[in-house]
Amino acid sequence: MNIIVCIKQVPNVTQVKWDADGSLIRTGLPTIINPVDKNAIEAALQLKEQHGGKVTVLSMGPSQVESALREALCMGVDDVIQLTDRKFAGADTWATSYTIGCAIQKIGDYDLVITGVEAMDGNTAQVGPQVAEYLGLPLLSYALSIAVADGKVTIDQKLGDVARVIEAKLPALVTVEKEINEYRVTPIDKLIDAFERTIPVWGVDDISPDVVHLGLKGSPTKLRKVYSPKLEKGKVEMLEGTPDEVARQLVDKLNAKFLI
Amino acid sequence: MDFTISPVNKMIIKAAKDFSERKIPAIEAYMKANNDYPPDLMEIYAKNRMLGFNVPREYGGIGTSNFNMILYIEEMGKTASTCFLPFMMNNSVAETICHWGSEEVKKKFVPPLCDGTAWATMAFTEPDTGSDPKMLTTTARPDGDDFIINGTKRFISMANKPGYGVFICKDLSLAGQKNNTTAFIIDKSSPGISCSKHYELTGLEGADTCDITFTDVRVPKGNILGNQGEGFNILLRWIAGERIQQAAGMVGVGQRAFDEAKKYSLQRVVNGMPMGYMQGFYWMLGEMKVKLEACRLMVYQAVCKQDAGKAFEVDSAEVKVFTTPMIQEVTRMAVQFLGSYGYSKEYIVEKLFRLAMHQGVVASSLEINKTIVGMTALMSRSK
Ligand SMILES: Cc1cc2nc3c(=O)[nH]c(=O)nc-3n(C[C@H](O)[C@H](O)[C@@H](O)COP(=O)(O)OP(=O)(O)OC[C@H]3O[C@@H](n4cnc5c(N)ncnc54)[C@H](O)[C@@H]3O)c2cc1C
Ligand SMILES: Cc1cc2nc3c(=O)[nH]c(=O)nc-3n(C[C@H](O)[C@H](O)[C@H](O)COP(=O)(O)OP(=O)(O)OC[C@H]3O[C@@H](n4cnc5c(N)ncnc54)[C@H](O)[C@@H]3O)c2cc1C
Repeated sequence: MNIIVCIKQVPNVTQVKWDADGSLIRTGLPTIINPVDKNAIEAALQLKEQHGGKVTVLSMGPSQVESALREALCMGVDDVIQLTDRKFAGADTWATSYTIGCAIQKIGDYDLVITGVEAMDGNTAQVGPQVAEYLGLPLLSYALSIAVADGKVTIDQKLGDVARVIEAKLPALVTVEKEINEYRVTPIDKLIDAFERTIPVWGVDDISPDVVHLGLKGSPTKLRKVYSPKLEKGKVEMLEGTPDEVARQLVDKLNAKFLI
Repeated sequence: MDFTISPVNKMIIKAAKDFSERKIPAIEAYMKANNDYPPDLMEIYAKNRMLGFNVPREYGGIGTSNFNMILYIEEMGKTASTCFLPFMMNNSVAETICHWGSEEVKKKFVPPLCDGTAWATMAFTEPDTGSDPKMLTTTARPDGDDFIINGTKRFISMANKPGYGVFICKDLSLAGQKNNTTAFIIDKSSPGISCSKHYELTGLEGADTCDITFTDVRVPKGNILGNQGEGFNILLRWIAGERIQQAAGMVGVGQRAFDEAKKYSLQRVVNGMPMGYMQGFYWMLGEMKVKLEACRLMVYQAVCKQDAGKAFEVDSAEVKVFTTPMIQEVTRMAVQFLGSYGYSKEYIVEKLFRLAMHQGVVASSLEINKTIVGMTALMSRSK
């Protein structure tokens, strides 16, 4: 069974900074593999351990995504492909999904595509579903488990307080939640091997896309402004008196604000 | 010498940190509750492919450098968990068997030390000595195709765990010869072997160190490691590597002590300001940092020599002589930083302090190493 996993490299901070044009300032920020994408890799490796085949990891981004792909190799995946081209830059989720979709078509021989549910910087949770749509694959999102048998994939889908079991014919695309597994600690032999590998870089010419759909120019979303909402400092008021009195005061205050 | 940390080294450190943060807490919890290692500890190490760092792949190892291994150990040291001890032992004994063993011996005994089915042991110390091969009383008497082993080894780590150990014995077939010790690879579940209870130690919580007694234990001649008479040399080479690994762990211990002291000194307010801003304390921090840095460089230098295949035994002794009092001092200072909290079991620094104390007496004593360094200097022709 051949599995393609899509991973995104993200800055390792909770409070990221943007420049005046609303673009993310990436310089100087340490980068990591989007955490849930490590669970996606782990899910793929476990399926491979059960069913054989091979795991290929794909990432689109600037040249430094090489380090994310190197780390994927360290975890034990078979192949990685880096999608880097100036023409891919500035893509919104639609253009990102289109580019990834073209690359997956180029790879061709696959049974399953796995992505994380969402990236911790962009948080749109759109790339997985849009790649599925572009490739015409059934989408199984928010997976808490994945099982493959008889040419079908079955997942437990997380839907708030409930979960449901859904299944689809292969090939299909699954987006995974972090609860799906605990990703492995890097095995040292794979780590050593990973640094002997050269990472193939695919650009526009390697995936033969329609270039009008690429990058900033091909993105229907126009980002007007990104900003951190101002945090209002909370006011604390200590109520005084016996427990009964304090309770009464509290009820009065909540009533006044129409909260109860 | 250039100690640039390469991208591979960085990834090793990252993996070790990840292992320490995500896997060691459960191991520690077991050890605390049971005063012993988890029975599946070697399987955990094998699953994460942490065994056989410096053992070729064909024998089940990883085939990388000792430098990468000590970087891993340094990270584990920061947790103050004793679980790095069996990790070092399986790695170093597997490497030792690879170095001295015949093809047959290597094929038989090395893979189980790398795949997690066997716990390694290296045993020299006896009730009467931990330093002098002439004082050994555990004997190996030839009997047909076998040797019969009798005697007691003291303070032996992992002696009561399943797997193979290398036991340095007085070889009665070499009676009267100068080098009369031979190293035997012995299955620790052989008939005639019994173990005492664990020693209660100052630090190294959960360690299983005990006495192991041999009563007419039969060992095939094929289990001899290296040649007869080479036992003590095998021990010396092994222990030179072990000292560096131990020191790397202690650099991790010292680093953690420094980190804890620094954190506390920025939090604790004394005289209206964080105590770290008092000159007495930031001078102490400065001293701790410099000591640590010097220890780290010395460990890295020795391990680079080892990896380059140069003689490193004296360097390794120098590492022990220098780093032992340094790390003990750094951990002691960390206790001072935290005041009474530092002396309480609520905080990790007292554990780090007790752990650092083992370096002076385990894997050859501090004094023996001073002897090695001093005598080598005295006898050396160069100035
Ligand atoms: C703060 C911020 C806000 C943004 N807002 C928008 C917006 O509102 N609309 C919009 O269209 N774009 C937006 N973008 C751009 C968008 O993040 C990226 O263009 C897009 O590449 C990924 O979208 P995402 O981060 O939301 O990923 P998600 O859709 O949340 O990611 C889901 C999964 O898709 C896979 N994946 C995502 N990106 C890649 C990649 N580059 N390579 C391989 N696999 C990948 C991963 O498996 C990931 O777990 C925003 C970016 C930032 C940083
Ligand atoms: C937790 C723990 C785990 C251990 N694990 C193992 C193990 O797995 N395998 C193993 O074989 N041993 C093990 N040991 C034993 C340890 O290596 C020895 O205790 C150590 O080598 C010192 O030996 P000794 O206590 O017999 O001291 P002795 O050799 O009796 O020495 C007594 C004192 O004299 C000093 N001294 C001795 N000879 C000289 C000399 N020539 N010059 C200067 N000073 C000298 C010593 O430094 C020491 O202070 C372990 C010990 C502990 C505490």
